[in-house]
Amino acid sequence: MLGLLLLAVPLAAAVAVCFVPLRAVRVLALIASLVTSGIALAAAIEFGGWGSGGWGLAFSCDLLPQFGITFTLGADSVSMMLILLTALLMPLAILGSFTAVTERIREYYAWLLVLTTAMTGVFLARDLLVFYICFEFTLIPMYFLIAIYGSTNRTWASIKFFIYTFLGSLLALVGFLYVAWASAEHSGVWSFSIPTLTQFTSTAMTSTEQTWVLLALMAGFAVKIPLFPVHTWLPLAHTEAPTAGSVILAGVLLKLGTYGLYRFVLPMVPAAVVEWAPFIAILSIIGILYAALICWVQTDVKKLVAYSSVSHLGFCVLGLFALNPMGLQGSVLYMINHGLSTGALFFLIGMMYERYHTRDMGEIGGLAATMPIWSTFMVFFVLASVGLPGLNGFVSEFLCLIGAFVAGDAGAYPGVLGPWFAAIAALGMVFAAMYLLIMVGKVVFGPLRTPAGDHGPLPTDLSTREIIVLVPLALGCILLGVQPDIAIDAMSGSIAETLAAFPELVTNSTEPLASAGGMP
Amino acid sequence: MMLHGLHVPLMSTGVPAVPAADVIVAPDLAWAGLILLLPLVSLVLCGLCAAFRVRSKLPAVITSAALAGAFVTSVMLYLNYTPPGEVVHLLDWINVSWGSGAIDSFAANFSLYIDSLSLLWIMFVTGLGTLITIYASEYMEPDLGKGYARFFAGVSVFLFAMASLVLSDNLLMLYLGWEGVGFASYWLIGYYYQRPSAVAAAKKAFIVNRIGDLGLALAVYLIWVTFGTVQYDELTTVLQHEDWRTSFEGWTTSAIPYLLMLAAFGKSAQLPLYVWLPDAMEGPTPVSALIHAATMVTAGIYLVARTYPLFMLEPTSLHVVAWVGGLTALLAATIGMAQYDIKRIMAYSTVSQLGYMFLGLGVLTTYGAAYHVFTHAFFKALLFLTCGAIMHGFAGQLDLRKLSGLRHLPGWRITSWTMLIGALCLAGFPFTSGYFSKDAILAEAFVTQGPGFRVLGWLAILTAGLTAYYTFRVWFRVCAGPAAYEAGDEHHGDEDHSGHFHPHAPRLAINAVLVILAIGALVAALPYFMSNQADERLVGGWVADMVHDSTAREGIPGFHPGDPAHAGGHHHADGHAHGHILGMDPHVAMYWISGTVGMVGLLLAAWLHLWRRDHADALRRWMRSRVWIGWLPRAMERKWYVDEFYHAIIRAPLWILGHVCHAFDRFIIDGIFVDGLARVPRGVARWLQPLQAGAVQSLAVVMVGGTMIILLLMALFMQFGWPGGSI
Repeated sequence: MLGLLLLAVPLAAAVAVCFVPLRAVRVLALIASLVTSGIALAAAIEFGGWGSGGWGLAFSCDLLPQFGITFTLGADSVSMMLILLTALLMPLAILGSFTAVTERIREYYAWLLVLTTAMTGVFLARDLLVFYICFEFTLIPMYFLIAIYGSTNRTWASIKFFIYTFLGSLLALVGFLYVAWASAEHSGVWSFSIPTLTQFTSTAMTSTEQTWVLLALMAGFAVKIPLFPVHTWLPLAHTEAPTAGSVILAGVLLKLGTYGLYRFVLPMVPAAVVEWAPFIAILSIIGILYAALICWVQTDVKKLVAYSSVSHLGFCVLGLFALNPMGLQGSVLYMINHGLSTGALFFLIGMMYERYHTRDMGEIGGLAATMPIWSTFMVFFVLASVGLPGLNGFVSEFLCLIGAFVAGDAGAYPGVLGPWFAAIAALGMVFAAMYLLIMVGKVVFGPLRTPAGDHGPLPTDLSTREIIVLVPLALGCILLGVQPDIAIDAMSGSIAETLAAFPELVTNSTEPLASAGGMP
Repeated sequence: MMLHGLHVPLMSTGVPAVPAADVIVAPDLAWAGLILLLPLVSLVLCGLCAAFRVRSKLPAVITSAALAGAFVTSVMLYLNYTPPGEVVHLLDWINVSWGSGAIDSFAANFSLYIDSLSLLWIMFVTGLGTLITIYASEYMEPDLGKGYARFFAGVSVFLFAMASLVLSDNLLMLYLGWEGVGFASYWLIGYYYQRPSAVAAAKKAFIVNRIGDLGLALAVYLIWVTFGTVQYDELTTVLQHEDWRTSFEGWTTSAIPYLLMLAAFGKSAQLPLYVWLPDAMEGPTPVSALIHAATMVTAGIYLVARTYPLFMLEPTSLHVVAWVGGLTALLAATIGMAQYDIKRIMAYSTVSQLGYMFLGLGVLTTYGAAYHVFTHAFFKALLFLTCGAIMHGFAGQLDLRKLSGLRHLPGWRITSWTMLIGALCLAGFPFTSGYFSKDAILAEAFVTQGPGFRVLGWLAILTAGLTAYYTFRVWFRVCAGPAAYEAGDEHHGDEDHSGHFHPHAPRLAINAVLVILAIGALVAALPYFMSNQADERLVGGWVADMVHDSTAREGIPGFHPGDPAHAGGHHHADGHAHGHILGMDPHVAMYWISGTVGMVGLLLAAWLHLWRRDHADALRRWMRSRVWIGWLPRAMERKWYVDEFYHAIIRAPLWILGHVCHAFDRFIIDGIFVDGLARVPRGVARWLQPLQAGAVQSLAVVMVGGTMIILLLMALFMQFGWPGGSI
């Protein structure tokens, strides 16, 4: 029931927001999202699958029984963590928008709440179509958030965002439908249940078929992550989106892609994954370095952080395709950590933008002189992002890299990557330090340069409300940096389940790519 | 099982190995965690001071008290120390496990590894930290209520990170400290954050260090893959294992020391990564003294000493260490000779002295390296602090051409004389601490067999002469000669009503610290004469004991005697394989040679910078006007164009590559592929039906079109089956 509540409460609140008096809108939205977070927290406490594996939050009812479509919910530890991340970010996003959004506020908060439902739905779905509907449905609120509340080039950005990711997902849908159809052919009964289909594809499908499914699913998820070279919608969408939009986009929406890889690609088509992992890993490494180099020459702070997301998510994908527990733990942890630190960076940039109406490093700089609190937070989250040990980013980056490094060695989890993958990807660590510190050096330090303009009702430095937005994220960064074991232990059961097929497969695949006959 | 090999006598003596003793995991030593906790508490309190805009010296008081506490704790640990050492577990950090195989688990916790090596380091780190904090309480006065709390918070962060680095029981926590000190250094170099040069220097320091950190990270991966652990005690156990050679042969064992070396060269400012250290002088002087002279920059030496057994597995790597160290020492000394900024001279001198330490590591005298770290910490901190006192008093003046005869000025006597003591130690004047520690390294260069080690030894002796010259160039110019000065441009109320500048002489806190450090620098010679407890045949007294009692001693537990790398590694006064210099025992010979060379350098400095200063200018003019030699002073003054070289071969190409990638992203990937493809359906739609190109309409077109395509595809599948499929 809690699972259903998690979806229903924000949705109901979204409807309610449209009818309450205008001055109550913000408070109602905030309360609703806090209640949702409270439910998520209760669910997490009640959840029995921490560490051991297993599922919680189960709920099921039939939708179209003749096609095997059911409304099934459930969460394992990894889904649960991402739900918690969503639950943490949403109230902050709402709280952080109080002064930034002043027009059409009903719609704004309604869309944010709808988005909460859609994102939570993705993590909760245990039925393929429910997953897909939620996955696609996240686009609509986001589309409107960018198109209505974005900056100057918002229309083009929103359309591009929508069409690009939508087309990608359509290909994924083709893959899903094919899987369901093949399963129905095989067993004679239609089913869209994720466990059933996973079981079917991973065991009954030939490696060629798996390859096709892999490509279809990758088309959807790679755009969402985004993986090089299908990343170009992201910088545009980020630069044009309102602050809360960027935060959610970086914090949660990108994770839908990596979560898709984790939940579908790895367990569903393991044979194809073993063949294609090096290829995908190379793409992610190119993405890490390429996006990092682009970050270096950016002048727009927000675009810089957007490209840094492309670079960072490369580590996340690399960890996934290491196909060993270290890599996967690192990768899942990366999803959380990136949500915290990059989400916070977008908040900070938004707070700066609200005051000075510019994000151009050529126009603004040396803010430490006038905004010491803001600067402290900025430096803190940049360091978390750079991967300073003791903060969260380090642990996940380290695990992803070491996972890729040992993937290839004959341990308990042999993989198909190896030291060179990790060694080259690790250059990203140096680049990240370069572009982020150059950004800090320009924006935070140096002589004060600010464009003329008024702060509106905002104080020079951060207000209490803004500090409240940032503090939970900072605490999260410290907690996961000092005690990552909490998260690592909690997710171990789910990861073992996802990886179950791999050690044997890798050992048996003496000739990679041999069975992918006919593929380019 | 946690085994430890600290008991095993040196293999070269031929004594059979004694079974290794257990390292005690000591819960009763949990109070050792105070060394980490106190700086953290101080950080929080300083942060609160900054938040509440405290205008008093409270942050300095808090920090010095916390660091003094950490120092006392370290000394107590030393007094309670019994070999071979103890592991104190504080807090879990990363524990991943998924099987029982060799590399099926990874553990790195916040645990302390207390052995003689870490104790040696932590004692001088916390001790000097305390003293320099007290000094800084006066030095940073002009910033009271502004950056004062921020400064001391940075110092606290540094001490926390440095303590983690030194005391950690595994390489990952060491990495935490390693990056932590890099961050603290970034924080403090960039302390004057409105000065663009300071911001650039801070950034440069962090980024160059990151290159080294990359090496450390990869080394950690490789060590874990090869040995299945990153904890020192388990690593030692593995290395003690009889057939480690057969099990661990391969490229990984060869690569590990080179990666560790990269890390060490980054942090300890050696070729090719030394370029950040001279720029780091943009930070406040106490920071230069504490971080960039005495403690942080020795982390590289600590790392190599701590992982010395891994270097012993690949003897060639130690040859590289020796050569890089020797060449860096020479190069930095030549640059230091030609600079005018006294702080920069000291910075290049630090690079040079660190080069000596690596030379020592490379020629198999970890003891010599550690001893030089120890003495250098005192005299270089002292020299920096005297420079700082001068800078503070003369409104930021650091140009040695604009300062003269300070010892004649009222109130500057202590500064001048303590600076002289520091200079004597640095120059290796006979019977000062620097004399003994440097000789330990120089002599060993002639003893140990290695490629060109003799040449290296003579280069190091030449460097010793240059060192004496540039050190006394500073002292004779600044402290001796006729009294004269020109103020710098950082005024803070030092002018009287007529606008005339008055240097303000250092007061109690600064003078007291200078005197204590001067005494420390002199007394640092004593450990050399303290008798050895571990092995009375060892040279080098107390410090040698501390080193030989740890994993850092030459030779690894279980290492087979007769290995070529080890053959030359003598450590005994009665050593049989002793080389000879000029027919004398190397140590004895070196006392004479380096003493003489040092005196020559000193006298040269006295001639050119005290007695006949005009000759120095004439000489410089003459050299610059001659074609055949003119390039030399120019290149030395321009620091051999190394910064320009790096800019041209690394930064500029990468920057161009960045722009190329950006353009590629915008015009090719996004422009041609994405937008180009996007135009196709739009064109089709326009052709079909001239709609107003509104957003919603476009979306509708795409959605309907997409769904239709899917339905079509599904129909095709149903009809013809999947291409290539077998269902």
